[in-house]
Amino acid sequence: MNLEAPAIEVRDLRVDYGNFIAVDDLSLTVPRGEVFGLVGPNGAGKTSTFKVLTTLMQPTYGEVVLNGVDIFEDLETARRIIGYMPDLAPVPSDLKVGEFLEFHAAAYGLGNRTERRERVAECLEEVAMTPQRDKWCKELSRGQTQRVVLAKTLLHRPTVLILDEPASGLDPLARRDLRNVLRRLAKTGSTVFVSSHILSELAEMCTSLCVMNRGRLLASGDVDQVRQQLGSTERTLTATALDRHEEAAAWLEGRAGVHSLRVEQPRIIFGFNGTDEAQADLMTGLIAMGIRMRAFEEKRSSFEDILVEVAESNRQLS
Amino acid sequence: MNMESQQRHAAWSLWSNPIFLRYCRSRLRPRGLGVWLLIVVLIASFITLMANSGAARMVADGYPERVEMIMRGSFMGLGFVQLFILFVLGTAQVAGGMTAERDEGVIDYQRLVPMSPLAKVVGYLFGLPVREYVLFLATVPFSLWLVSRGNIATDTWVPVYVAAGSSTLLYHLTGLVTGTVAKNRRWAFLASIGLVFLLYTAIPQLAKFGLVFFRYLSVEPVIVEKMPGLLPRDLGAIAEVGQRLAPTVKFFGLDFSELVFTLFSQGGLALTFIVMLCRKWRNSDSHLLGKLWATGFFIWIQVLFLGNALPLIEPGKIFPTRAFSRMIRLGPEWQPHGEEAVALSGIYGVVTLMLLFLFATMVTPSLDNQIRGWRRARKQGDTGLPVRSDPATGFWWVLVMAMAGAGGWYYFTHELIESKWYEQPIPLSIFGYFAAVMLVAGLGYQVLLEARGGKALGLTVIFVGVVPVMAGAIIGALPGHLAPAAAWLVGISPASFPIYATASLLPVAELPVEIARAVPRAFNFWLLVSGIISLWLIVRLRAARKAMAAEVMAGPSTPGEETAKPMAMVLPAVVVRDEESEDAVAPPAES
Repeated sequence: MNLEAPAIEVRDLRVDYGNFIAVDDLSLTVPRGEVFGLVGPNGAGKTSTFKVLTTLMQPTYGEVVLNGVDIFEDLETARRIIGYMPDLAPVPSDLKVGEFLEFHAAAYGLGNRTERRERVAECLEEVAMTPQRDKWCKELSRGQTQRVVLAKTLLHRPTVLILDEPASGLDPLARRDLRNVLRRLAKTGSTVFVSSHILSELAEMCTSLCVMNRGRLLASGDVDQVRQQLGSTERTLTATALDRHEEAAAWLEGRAGVHSLRVEQPRIIFGFNGTDEAQADLMTGLIAMGIRMRAFEEKRSSFEDILVEVAESNRQLS
Repeated sequence: MNMESQQRHAAWSLWSNPIFLRYCRSRLRPRGLGVWLLIVVLIASFITLMANSGAARMVADGYPERVEMIMRGSFMGLGFVQLFILFVLGTAQVAGGMTAERDEGVIDYQRLVPMSPLAKVVGYLFGLPVREYVLFLATVPFSLWLVSRGNIATDTWVPVYVAAGSSTLLYHLTGLVTGTVAKNRRWAFLASIGLVFLLYTAIPQLAKFGLVFFRYLSVEPVIVEKMPGLLPRDLGAIAEVGQRLAPTVKFFGLDFSELVFTLFSQGGLALTFIVMLCRKWRNSDSHLLGKLWATGFFIWIQVLFLGNALPLIEPGKIFPTRAFSRMIRLGPEWQPHGEEAVALSGIYGVVTLMLLFLFATMVTPSLDNQIRGWRRARKQGDTGLPVRSDPATGFWWVLVMAMAGAGGWYYFTHELIESKWYEQPIPLSIFGYFAAVMLVAGLGYQVLLEARGGKALGLTVIFVGVVPVMAGAIIGALPGHLAPAAAWLVGISPASFPIYATASLLPVAELPVEIARAVPRAFNFWLLVSGIISLWLIVRLRAARKAMAAEVMAGPSTPGEETAKPMAMVLPAVVVRDEESEDAVAPPAES
């Protein structure tokens, strides 16, 4: 294991299902200590990517290196590095919560029985499930199941956590706890690779993101960088003037990038698609005309909107 | 507790195997185990106490020598209960439990734990049926009591239990393979029980027709060998007389005890099952056996067939009439019928052909598999697929197996017909015919599977392999002179080729007059027709594979689009795989 290497390096990853290309020459690098989000519409290739990263699936080709360990060269070491929580995390029906976790602690070869029990207790505490230790797994609610599987994922102190929709089924309190757990893990040097459909939450939780669509990486970076890379400069502007609204509206309508303009006195609301400089010029222009401006507000498309756009274009293309 | 401090699990260390311990925990809970234990102990104590009561009565009635007889009889009765627990309940539990793991979705967790595939196989093999082992152990004290009161010798009951143990492992491995491969829990249960019945009860009956090797896959030869020591003394003495006349285990020039040869035969199959499971644990998409292993195993089975069968020719023990009437002393004038040789050779050919189909299925890649292989090769800058890899064509391997099968079949037939019993020459041209049968049927099957997939092959098997035989049988049973027509109809099925070949070609064959002309003609005609069709399929498959390789090698394609269009264009009738084919891999559901 190379401590200097990035946590996750994916090179030219390709996954095919017959003639369908699920992941198409995907390359990405995730530095250590990041909480890295993977976003994309259905069929984007997220689950396939996760399955390959967790060694559950052989790709058509490509390289995956986790902490300097090539997962196809050294499977056993890679599996000690990885902590994987699948979507709709299943649990066995014939075991109790404590037994389920102790089994996995033993399977990962964690110390002796006492040490394993202590570690199980720590992980249950981490996900606030200590009182359920003696409960049957089959009796847990969806959210409790998610938390137990998260505890299982943390047992062997993996340095790369791969979590597929970990927040689904969790109540707001549990989501907050999850966020805190992930941040705490990232601070200790672990890397978290997480996918979610609750995009606002993902943006809040992650230090960086990547967006996949139709098996390809569309953008990566922090939320603003991703927005920029996706080319989404669309925003809604609201100019609040004290007087001469019609004159201001007429002037704005003639500017490039301005559309869907309407006047709701004292506000002039319009869509704008242009650079930040062009937007500044609009405000300067209105003031130069002698219109007394009280406010100039900007509302950008939410991240969710951008992804809806991506999904829509995906649907149209297919 | 960092990564370096995590311990590794040795495959042989069962008591620290987490999967084994996990099942000890879940399957040995007092609530679940208690009822079963009660039932089993009740049955075992009933048998033992009945034996005791009977024995006490015999002593009271002045027949103390009969005590042993009662105890031995009860030991056999309890033995059946024990075998039922281990063979039936245990195997069903292994297959069902394995499928349940996949149904619940927790099998992925087990895939991810850093244990070797062999350690996982061992954990499941002994863990899933752990309750059945405990139930069996609960009956052992009763058995030991009966052994001691029945004066059963140690060298009698110990080999029986050793063979029962090895058979149990083999049956459970069968269940584990079924559970790993079968997609549905109910099917896994039925398939495992069906497979166990077929492999270890029905197929061993082929021993009566020369394929003696199959006997040693079951516990039966050891029980039969030890029977005189298990039965009451007077019955045992009769059995011993019969046994002296029965065939002993001979393997080419070597002599083995029943137990050793049973362990040897079962061990080979168990090893193959373990290899299959380890491959599946390493990569769930991989073939059950690698191409080299499958071919080697096929050839090894031929060696086992011949090794067991050839030594039985000279003393005449291979012939069914002799085997059925071995309790009667046969006079020096005894001579086997010509039909017996035809049947023995024909059955050898049919079984070899069926095995060829089975192994061809294992080594043939699906279309998806082939495309992925070619894409990987392109990425790595290779111009071809590694010949032993799963995506590579299975054609050449099936060709080797077909030739090996034909060789084994010819050698067996040659030794049989040229033996002192018939003293007829077998020309090398017969090998040509046998090779043609194996190549035409085996390669036709393989090429169809590789080009069109499982569904098309299944339909072909039904309508070309099975229906003509059924139709022929119905027509043949009708009054009138329809036997020749029936012979022509049955001859369509490639499964009939080995029987037709031996009936047409062997000098000792004496066909009934009404089909004496039809069978050889039908055989030659249908072999020729099938040969032409197989050849056409082979040529088209090669063209399709070349087109596929050229297309994939030509460069990257647009994501989400089909890439094998030229294959469909080159081979409109051959390589248009069914969308709903069982082999088609569905992308995992994205949430």
